[in-house]
Amino acid sequence: MTHLMEDGAAPDGREFARLITVVAADRDRQAFARLYSHFAPRVTAFLRKSGLPANTAEEIAQEVMLSVWRKAAYFDPARAGAATWIFTIARNLRIDHLRRARSAATAEQAPPADSETAPSGEVLLLASEREAAVRAALKALSDEQALVLRLSFFGDKAHSEIARELGLPLGTVKSRVRLALGRLRTLLEGDK
Amino acid sequence: MTIHHHATDETLMRLAAGTLPAGPAMVVATHLAGCPVCRARLAQFEAIGGVLLDEIEPAPMTPDAFAAALAAIDAEEARDVAGTTAAAMARRPRRAAALLPGGIPLPRPLQDCEIGPWRWIGIGVRASAVTLPNDPAERLTLLRVGPGRKLPEHGHFGTEFTQILVGSFSDEFGRYLPGDLTEMGSEVEHQPVVDPDGECICLAALEGGMRLTGFFGRLIQPFVRL
Repeated sequence: MTHLMEDGAAPDGREFARLITVVAADRDRQAFARLYSHFAPRVTAFLRKSGLPANTAEEIAQEVMLSVWRKAAYFDPARAGAATWIFTIARNLRIDHLRRARSAATAEQAPPADSETAPSGEVLLLASEREAAVRAALKALSDEQALVLRLSFFGDKAHSEIARELGLPLGTVKSRVRLALGRLRTLLEGDK
Repeated sequence: MTIHHHATDETLMRLAAGTLPAGPAMVVATHLAGCPVCRARLAQFEAIGGVLLDEIEPAPMTPDAFAAALAAIDAEEARDVAGTTAAAMARRPRRAAALLPGGIPLPRPLQDCEIGPWRWIGIGVRASAVTLPNDPAERLTLLRVGPGRKLPEHGHFGTEFTQILVGSFSDEFGRYLPGDLTEMGSEVEHQPVVDPDGECICLAALEGGMRLTGFFGRLIQPFVRL
Protein backbone atom coordinates (compact mmCIF):
# COMPACT_ATOMS: atom_id res chain seq x y z
CA MET A 1 0.00 0.00 0.00
CA THR A 2 2.85 2.38 0.66
CA HIS A 3 3.90 2.30 -2.98
CA LEU A 4 0.99 4.60 -3.69
CA MET A 5 2.60 7.39 -1.77
CA GLU A 6 5.27 7.75 -4.40
CA ASP A 7 4.14 9.87 -7.24
CA GLY A 8 4.33 8.18 -10.58
CA ALA A 9 3.91 4.70 -9.15
CA ALA A 10 1.67 2.49 -11.24
CA PRO A 11 -1.81 3.87 -10.57
CA ASP A 12 -4.23 1.40 -9.12
CA GLY A 13 -7.80 2.42 -9.75
CA ARG A 14 -9.24 -0.01 -7.25
CA GLU A 15 -7.02 1.27 -4.46
CA PHE A 16 -8.02 4.87 -5.12
CA ALA A 17 -11.67 3.84 -5.22
CA ARG A 18 -11.20 2.15 -1.86
CA LEU A 19 -9.57 5.28 -0.44
CA ILE A 20 -12.55 7.39 -1.47
CA THR A 21 -14.94 5.02 0.29
CA VAL A 22 -12.72 5.19 3.40
CA VAL A 23 -12.88 8.99 3.29
CA ALA A 24 -16.66 8.72 3.02
CA ALA A 25 -17.08 6.22 5.84
CA ASP A 26 -14.44 7.35 8.35
CA ARG A 27 -13.58 10.91 7.31
CA ASP A 28 -10.07 9.53 7.23
CA ARG A 29 -7.50 12.25 6.56
CA GLN A 30 -4.73 9.76 5.89
CA ALA A 31 -6.71 8.31 3.02
CA PHE A 32 -7.51 11.82 1.84
CA ALA A 33 -3.81 12.72 1.93
CA ARG A 34 -3.02 9.86 -0.43
CA LEU A 35 -5.77 10.81 -2.82
CA TYR A 36 -4.56 14.39 -2.65
CA SER A 37 -0.94 13.57 -3.38
CA HIS A 38 -1.91 11.61 -6.46
CA PHE A 39 -4.74 13.67 -7.86
CA ALA A 40 -4.22 17.31 -6.83
CA PRO A 41 -1.07 17.78 -8.99
CA ARG A 42 -2.76 15.99 -11.88
CA VAL A 43 -5.94 18.02 -11.67
CA THR A 44 -3.78 21.15 -11.56
CA ALA A 45 -1.93 19.96 -14.65
CA PHE A 46 -5.17 19.15 -16.44
CA LEU A 47 -6.60 22.59 -15.69
CA ARG A 48 -3.41 24.32 -16.80
CA LYS A 49 -3.36 22.32 -19.98
CA SER A 50 -6.92 23.37 -20.67
CA GLY A 51 -5.81 26.98 -20.65
CA LEU A 52 -6.18 28.28 -17.10
CA PRO A 53 -3.36 30.32 -15.52
CA ALA A 54 -1.26 28.39 -12.99
CA ASN A 55 -2.66 30.06 -9.86
CA THR A 56 -6.29 29.68 -10.99
CA ALA A 57 -5.61 26.06 -11.89
CA GLU A 58 -4.30 25.38 -8.40
CA GLU A 59 -7.22 27.19 -6.76
CA ILE A 60 -9.73 25.11 -8.70
CA ALA A 61 -7.74 21.94 -8.03
CA GLN A 62 -8.05 22.75 -4.31
CA GLU A 63 -11.81 23.11 -4.78
CA VAL A 64 -11.87 19.79 -6.61
CA MET A 65 -10.10 18.05 -3.75
CA LEU A 66 -12.42 19.66 -1.20
CA SER A 67 -15.35 18.34 -3.25
CA VAL A 68 -13.76 14.90 -3.13
CA TRP A 69 -13.73 15.21 0.67
CA ARG A 70 -17.26 16.58 0.84
CA LYS A 71 -18.91 14.35 -1.73
CA ALA A 72 -17.02 11.11 -1.09
CA ALA A 73 -20.26 9.49 0.06
CA TYR A 74 -21.75 10.06 -3.40
CA PHE A 75 -18.94 8.16 -5.09
CA ASP A 76 -20.30 4.93 -6.51
CA PRO A 77 -17.49 2.58 -7.55
CA ALA A 78 -19.90 0.65 -9.77
CA ARG A 79 -20.59 3.77 -11.83
CA ALA A 80 -17.21 5.40 -12.26
CA GLY A 81 -13.59 4.72 -11.44
CA ALA A 82 -11.82 7.03 -9.00
CA ALA A 83 -9.94 8.94 -11.71
CA THR A 84 -13.10 9.27 -13.79
CA TRP A 85 -15.12 10.56 -10.86
CA ILE A 86 -12.48 13.13 -9.98
CA PHE A 87 -12.15 14.09 -13.63
CA THR A 88 -15.89 14.86 -13.82
CA ILE A 89 -15.68 17.00 -10.67
CA ALA A 90 -12.75 18.93 -12.16
CA ARG A 91 -14.58 19.30 -15.46
CA ASN A 92 -17.72 20.64 -13.75
CA LEU A 93 -15.82 23.09 -11.59
CA ARG A 94 -13.92 24.27 -14.63
CA ILE A 95 -17.23 24.87 -16.44
CA ASP A 96 -18.51 26.76 -13.38
CA HIS A 97 -15.38 28.85 -13.28
CA LEU A 98 -15.57 29.77 -16.96
CA ARG A 99 -19.24 30.60 -16.61
CA ARG A 100 -18.61 32.83 -13.61
CA ALA A 101 -15.85 34.50 -15.55
CA ARG A 102 -18.37 35.20 -18.30
CA SER A 103 -21.28 36.30 -16.17
CA ALA A 104 -21.56 37.14 -12.51
CA ALA A 105 -24.09 34.40 -11.88
CA THR A 106 -23.20 31.71 -9.37
CA ALA A 107 -24.97 28.45 -8.91
CA GLU A 108 -24.26 24.84 -8.31
CA GLN A 109 -24.21 22.31 -11.07
CA ALA A 110 -27.33 20.20 -10.89
CA PRO A 111 -26.71 16.48 -10.56
CA PRO A 112 -27.48 14.60 -13.75
CA ALA A 113 -30.97 13.20 -14.04
CA ASP A 114 -31.27 9.48 -13.94
CA SER A 115 -34.65 8.18 -14.92
CA GLU A 116 -33.87 4.66 -16.06
CA THR A 117 -31.25 2.12 -15.24
CA ALA A 118 -28.35 1.67 -17.60
CA PRO A 119 -28.04 -1.57 -19.58
CA SER A 120 -26.86 -4.27 -17.23
CA GLY A 121 -23.90 -5.27 -19.40
CA GLU A 122 -22.41 -1.84 -18.88
CA VAL A 123 -23.03 -1.85 -15.17
CA LEU A 124 -21.46 -5.23 -14.77
CA LEU A 125 -18.26 -3.99 -16.29
CA LEU A 126 -16.82 -2.66 -13.08
CA ALA A 127 -15.91 0.96 -13.49
CA SER A 128 -12.25 0.59 -12.63
CA GLU A 129 -12.03 -2.19 -15.19
CA ARG A 130 -13.50 0.21 -17.67
CA GLU A 131 -10.70 2.64 -16.92
CA ALA A 132 -8.20 -0.16 -17.51
CA ALA A 133 -9.91 -1.05 -20.80
CA VAL A 134 -9.91 2.58 -21.89
CA ARG A 135 -6.25 2.90 -20.97
CA ALA A 136 -5.38 -0.06 -23.15
CA ALA A 137 -7.56 1.19 -26.00
CA LEU A 138 -5.91 4.63 -25.94
CA LYS A 139 -2.53 2.96 -26.31
CA ALA A 140 -3.78 1.15 -29.39
CA LEU A 141 -4.54 4.41 -31.21
CA SER A 142 -2.05 5.84 -33.64
CA ASP A 143 0.02 8.75 -32.28
CA GLU A 144 -1.85 11.16 -34.53
CA GLN A 145 -5.25 9.95 -33.38
CA ALA A 146 -4.20 10.02 -29.73
CA LEU A 147 -2.91 13.59 -30.16
CA VAL A 148 -6.09 15.05 -31.67
CA LEU A 149 -8.15 13.21 -29.08
CA ARG A 150 -6.03 14.59 -26.24
CA LEU A 151 -6.20 18.09 -27.69
CA SER A 152 -9.95 18.00 -28.03
CA PHE A 153 -10.36 16.56 -24.56
CA PHE A 154 -8.04 18.85 -22.69
CA GLY A 155 -8.99 22.13 -24.06
CA ASP A 156 -11.58 24.55 -25.05
CA LYS A 157 -10.05 24.54 -28.44
CA ALA A 158 -12.38 24.26 -31.34
CA HIS A 159 -11.28 21.83 -33.98
CA SER A 160 -10.48 24.79 -36.21
CA GLU A 161 -7.89 25.97 -33.67
CA ILE A 162 -6.43 22.50 -33.33
CA ALA A 163 -6.18 22.40 -37.12
CA ARG A 164 -4.28 25.69 -37.16
CA GLU A 165 -1.98 24.54 -34.41
CA LEU A 166 -1.12 21.27 -36.11
CA GLY A 167 -1.02 22.87 -39.55
CA LEU A 168 -3.66 20.48 -40.82
CA PRO A 169 -6.83 21.13 -42.80
CA LEU A 170 -9.94 21.33 -40.59
CA GLY A 171 -11.51 18.35 -42.36
CA THR A 172 -8.45 16.24 -41.52
CA VAL A 173 -8.69 17.08 -37.82
CA LYS A 174 -12.40 16.34 -37.76
CA SER A 175 -12.01 13.03 -39.54
CA ARG A 176 -9.08 12.11 -37.30
CA VAL A 177 -11.20 12.73 -34.20
CA ARG A 178 -14.04 10.75 -35.70
CA LEU A 179 -11.71 7.88 -36.63
CA ALA A 180 -10.11 7.91 -33.19
CA LEU A 181 -13.49 7.77 -31.48
CA GLY A 182 -14.70 5.02 -33.80
CA ARG A 183 -11.52 3.03 -33.22
CA LEU A 184 -11.85 3.44 -29.46
CA ARG A 185 -15.41 2.25 -29.58
CA THR A 186 -14.47 -0.84 -31.58
CA LEU A 187 -11.67 -1.62 -29.15
CA LEU A 188 -13.86 -1.13 -26.10
CA GLU A 189 -16.80 -3.04 -27.43
CA GLY A 190 -14.50 -5.78 -28.67
CA ASP A 191 -13.40 -6.75 -25.20
CA LYS A 192 -16.80 -7.25 -23.68
CA MET B 1 -39.74 3.96 -25.55
CA THR B 2 -37.31 2.83 -28.23
CA ILE B 3 -34.87 5.47 -29.26
CA HIS B 4 -33.61 5.41 -32.83
CA HIS B 5 -31.62 8.60 -33.10
CA HIS B 6 -28.77 9.03 -30.62
CA ALA B 7 -26.07 11.54 -29.79
CA THR B 8 -22.96 11.29 -31.97
CA ASP B 9 -19.61 10.14 -30.57
CA GLU B 10 -18.20 13.60 -31.04
CA THR B 11 -21.00 15.25 -29.08
CA LEU B 12 -20.73 12.80 -26.20
CA MET B 13 -16.98 13.29 -26.15
CA ARG B 14 -17.41 17.06 -25.96
CA LEU B 15 -20.00 16.69 -23.21
CA ALA B 16 -17.63 14.40 -21.32
CA ALA B 17 -14.75 16.83 -21.84
CA GLY B 18 -16.89 19.78 -20.76
CA THR B 19 -16.44 21.64 -24.04
CA LEU B 20 -20.00 21.46 -25.33
CA PRO B 21 -21.72 24.84 -24.77
CA ALA B 22 -24.43 24.93 -22.10
CA GLY B 23 -27.37 25.18 -24.54
CA PRO B 24 -26.55 22.10 -26.63
CA ALA B 25 -25.42 20.37 -23.41
CA MET B 26 -28.92 20.87 -21.98
CA VAL B 27 -30.54 19.41 -25.11
CA VAL B 28 -28.25 16.39 -24.87
CA ALA B 29 -29.02 16.13 -21.13
CA THR B 30 -32.74 15.79 -21.90
CA HIS B 31 -31.83 13.03 -24.33
CA LEU B 32 -29.63 11.29 -21.76
CA ALA B 33 -32.40 11.41 -19.17
CA GLY B 34 -34.38 8.99 -21.33
CA CYS B 35 -31.58 7.09 -23.08
CA PRO B 36 -29.63 4.50 -21.09
CA VAL B 37 -27.60 3.62 -24.18
CA CYS B 38 -26.16 7.13 -24.49
CA ARG B 39 -25.65 7.35 -20.72
CA ALA B 40 -23.50 4.23 -20.90
CA ARG B 41 -21.60 5.68 -23.88
CA LEU B 42 -21.08 8.95 -22.00
CA ALA B 43 -19.67 7.00 -19.04
CA GLN B 44 -17.16 5.49 -21.44
CA PHE B 45 -16.09 8.91 -22.71
CA GLU B 46 -15.81 10.18 -19.15
CA ALA B 47 -13.55 7.22 -18.43
CA ILE B 48 -11.29 8.52 -21.21
CA GLY B 49 -11.09 11.76 -19.23
CA GLY B 50 -10.26 9.78 -16.12
CA VAL B 51 -7.46 7.91 -17.85
CA LEU B 52 -6.04 11.06 -19.43
CA LEU B 53 -6.14 12.73 -16.01
CA ASP B 54 -4.41 9.77 -14.41
CA GLU B 55 -1.68 9.71 -17.05
CA ILE B 56 -0.97 13.42 -17.20
CA GLU B 57 2.41 14.74 -16.07
CA PRO B 58 1.66 16.10 -12.55
CA ALA B 59 2.12 19.84 -12.11
CA PRO B 60 4.02 21.22 -9.12
CA MET B 61 1.80 22.81 -6.48
CA THR B 62 2.69 25.48 -3.98
CA PRO B 63 4.38 23.86 -0.95
CA ASP B 64 1.62 24.56 1.56
CA ALA B 65 -1.25 23.55 -0.72
CA PHE B 66 -2.13 20.39 1.19
CA ALA B 67 -2.03 22.21 4.55
CA ALA B 68 -4.34 24.83 3.06
CA ALA B 69 -6.75 22.10 1.94
CA LEU B 70 -6.81 20.61 5.45
CA ALA B 71 -7.37 24.06 6.94
CA ALA B 72 -10.31 24.57 4.58
CA ILE B 73 -11.74 21.21 5.69
CA ASP B 74 -11.34 22.22 9.35
CA ALA B 75 -13.09 25.51 8.74
CA GLU B 76 -15.87 23.77 6.90
CA GLU B 77 -16.39 21.20 9.61
CA ALA B 78 -16.54 23.94 12.22
CA ARG B 79 -19.27 25.58 10.17
CA ASP B 80 -21.04 22.25 9.71
CA VAL B 81 -21.21 21.84 13.46
CA ALA B 82 -22.90 25.21 13.54
CA GLY B 83 -25.27 23.74 10.98
CA THR B 84 -25.09 26.46 8.38
CA THR B 85 -23.67 24.80 5.27
CA ALA B 86 -25.72 21.64 5.64
CA ALA B 87 -28.92 23.66 5.67
CA ALA B 88 -27.76 25.83 2.78
CA MET B 89 -26.88 22.76 0.71
CA ALA B 90 -30.02 20.82 1.53
CA ARG B 91 -32.50 23.48 0.57
CA ARG B 92 -32.66 24.42 -3.03
CA PRO B 93 -35.73 26.33 -3.97
CA ARG B 94 -37.88 24.20 -6.18
CA ARG B 95 -40.88 25.45 -8.05
CA ALA B 96 -43.75 23.20 -9.06
CA ALA B 97 -42.82 21.07 -12.05
CA ALA B 98 -43.92 22.86 -15.19
CA LEU B 99 -46.03 20.97 -17.68
CA LEU B 100 -45.87 20.94 -21.41
CA PRO B 101 -49.11 21.38 -23.34
CA GLY B 102 -51.13 18.21 -22.97
CA GLY B 103 -50.10 17.84 -19.34
CA ILE B 104 -46.81 16.15 -20.13
CA PRO B 105 -44.23 16.92 -17.47
CA LEU B 106 -41.18 18.82 -18.52
CA PRO B 107 -38.08 16.58 -18.79
CA ARG B 108 -36.22 16.61 -15.50
CA PRO B 109 -33.09 18.42 -16.70
CA LEU B 110 -35.31 21.34 -17.78
CA GLN B 111 -37.15 21.69 -14.50
CA ASP B 112 -34.86 24.35 -13.07
CA CYS B 113 -34.99 26.40 -16.26
CA GLU B 114 -37.06 29.48 -16.78
CA ILE B 115 -39.66 28.66 -19.45
CA GLY B 116 -40.95 31.70 -21.31
CA PRO B 117 -44.49 32.14 -22.61
CA TRP B 118 -45.49 30.54 -25.91
CA ARG B 119 -45.21 33.09 -28.64
CA TRP B 120 -46.73 32.90 -32.08
CA ILE B 121 -44.00 32.95 -34.67
CA GLY B 122 -45.83 31.69 -37.71
CA ILE B 123 -48.91 29.78 -38.75
CA GLY B 124 -49.03 26.66 -36.61
CA VAL B 125 -45.68 27.46 -35.03
CA ARG B 126 -45.14 28.70 -31.51
CA ALA B 127 -41.95 29.01 -29.55
CA SER B 128 -40.92 29.57 -25.98
CA ALA B 129 -37.53 30.76 -24.82
CA VAL B 130 -35.81 28.54 -22.27
CA THR B 131 -33.33 30.19 -19.93
CA LEU B 132 -30.78 28.16 -18.03
CA PRO B 133 -30.60 28.98 -14.32
CA ASN B 134 -26.80 29.14 -14.41
CA ASP B 135 -26.26 30.56 -17.81
CA PRO B 136 -28.83 33.17 -18.79
CA ALA B 137 -26.89 34.08 -21.93
CA GLU B 138 -27.38 30.66 -23.52
CA ARG B 139 -30.40 30.39 -25.76
CA LEU B 140 -32.59 27.36 -26.01
CA THR B 141 -35.98 27.20 -27.63
CA LEU B 142 -39.02 25.02 -27.16
CA LEU B 143 -40.80 24.75 -30.47
CA ARG B 144 -44.42 23.70 -30.76
CA VAL B 145 -45.52 22.97 -34.27
CA GLY B 146 -48.95 21.87 -35.44
CA PRO B 147 -49.63 18.60 -37.30
CA GLY B 148 -48.50 18.66 -40.90
CA ARG B 149 -46.75 22.01 -40.46
CA LYS B 150 -43.25 22.75 -41.57
CA LEU B 151 -40.68 23.77 -39.05
CA PRO B 152 -39.10 27.08 -39.98
CA GLU B 153 -36.87 26.51 -42.96
CA HIS B 154 -33.29 27.23 -42.18
CA GLY B 155 -29.68 26.37 -42.56
CA HIS B 156 -27.12 27.10 -39.89
CA PHE B 157 -23.48 27.83 -39.30
CA GLY B 158 -22.98 25.49 -36.36
CA THR B 159 -24.63 22.27 -35.33
CA GLU B 160 -28.29 22.30 -34.39
CA PHE B 161 -29.33 19.97 -31.57
CA THR B 162 -32.99 19.00 -31.34
CA GLN B 163 -34.61 16.65 -28.87
CA ILE B 164 -38.15 15.46 -29.60
CA LEU B 165 -40.36 15.68 -26.52
CA VAL B 166 -43.85 15.14 -27.93
CA GLY B 167 -45.14 14.04 -31.33
CA SER B 168 -42.92 13.44 -34.32
CA PHE B 169 -41.49 15.02 -37.42
CA SER B 170 -39.79 13.81 -40.54
CA ASP B 171 -37.21 15.30 -42.81
CA GLU B 172 -35.03 14.19 -45.70
CA PHE B 173 -33.06 11.99 -43.30
CA GLY B 174 -35.71 10.12 -41.40
CA ARG B 175 -38.51 10.19 -38.89
CA TYR B 176 -37.98 11.45 -35.37
CA LEU B 177 -40.03 10.32 -32.39
CA PRO B 178 -40.09 11.30 -28.70
CA GLY B 179 -36.74 10.55 -27.11
CA ASP B 180 -34.84 10.98 -30.37
CA LEU B 181 -32.04 13.48 -30.71
CA THR B 182 -31.03 15.01 -34.01
CA GLU B 183 -27.77 16.76 -34.68
CA MET B 184 -27.71 18.65 -37.91
CA GLY B 185 -24.36 19.91 -39.10
CA SER B 186 -23.83 23.24 -40.83
CA GLU B 187 -23.67 21.64 -44.24
CA VAL B 188 -27.30 20.67 -43.90
CA GLU B 189 -30.22 22.71 -45.08
CA HIS B 190 -33.20 20.64 -44.09
CA GLN B 191 -36.94 21.01 -43.98
CA PRO B 192 -38.55 19.10 -41.12
CA VAL B 193 -42.30 18.56 -41.39
CA VAL B 194 -44.41 17.54 -38.41
CA ASP B 195 -46.22 14.26 -38.98
CA PRO B 196 -49.97 14.62 -39.56
CA ASP B 197 -51.14 12.73 -36.47
CA GLY B 198 -50.47 15.41 -33.89
CA GLU B 199 -48.49 18.45 -32.84
CA CYS B 200 -44.80 18.19 -32.15
CA ILE B 201 -42.89 19.78 -29.29
CA CYS B 202 -39.14 19.80 -29.34
CA LEU B 203 -36.25 21.45 -27.57
CA ALA B 204 -33.63 23.00 -29.79
CA ALA B 205 -30.31 24.71 -29.34
CA LEU B 206 -27.85 25.94 -31.86
CA GLU B 207 -24.16 26.08 -31.65
CA GLY B 208 -23.11 29.02 -33.73
CA GLY B 209 -25.45 31.23 -35.69
CA MET B 210 -28.50 30.44 -37.77
CA ARG B 211 -28.86 31.25 -41.39
CA LEU B 212 -32.56 31.64 -41.87
CA THR B 213 -34.16 31.30 -45.20
CA GLY B 214 -37.70 31.57 -46.41
CA PHE B 215 -40.69 33.32 -44.93
CA PHE B 216 -40.81 31.52 -41.58
CA GLY B 217 -37.10 31.89 -41.26
CA ARG B 218 -37.33 35.66 -41.49
CA LEU B 219 -40.18 35.58 -38.99
CA ILE B 220 -38.24 33.54 -36.49
CA GLN B 221 -35.06 35.59 -36.88
CA PRO B 222 -35.90 38.36 -34.39
CA PHE B 223 -37.22 35.77 -31.99
CA VAL B 224 -34.11 33.68 -31.76
CA ARG B 225 -32.07 36.85 -31.21
CA LEU B 226 -28.83 36.14 -32.92
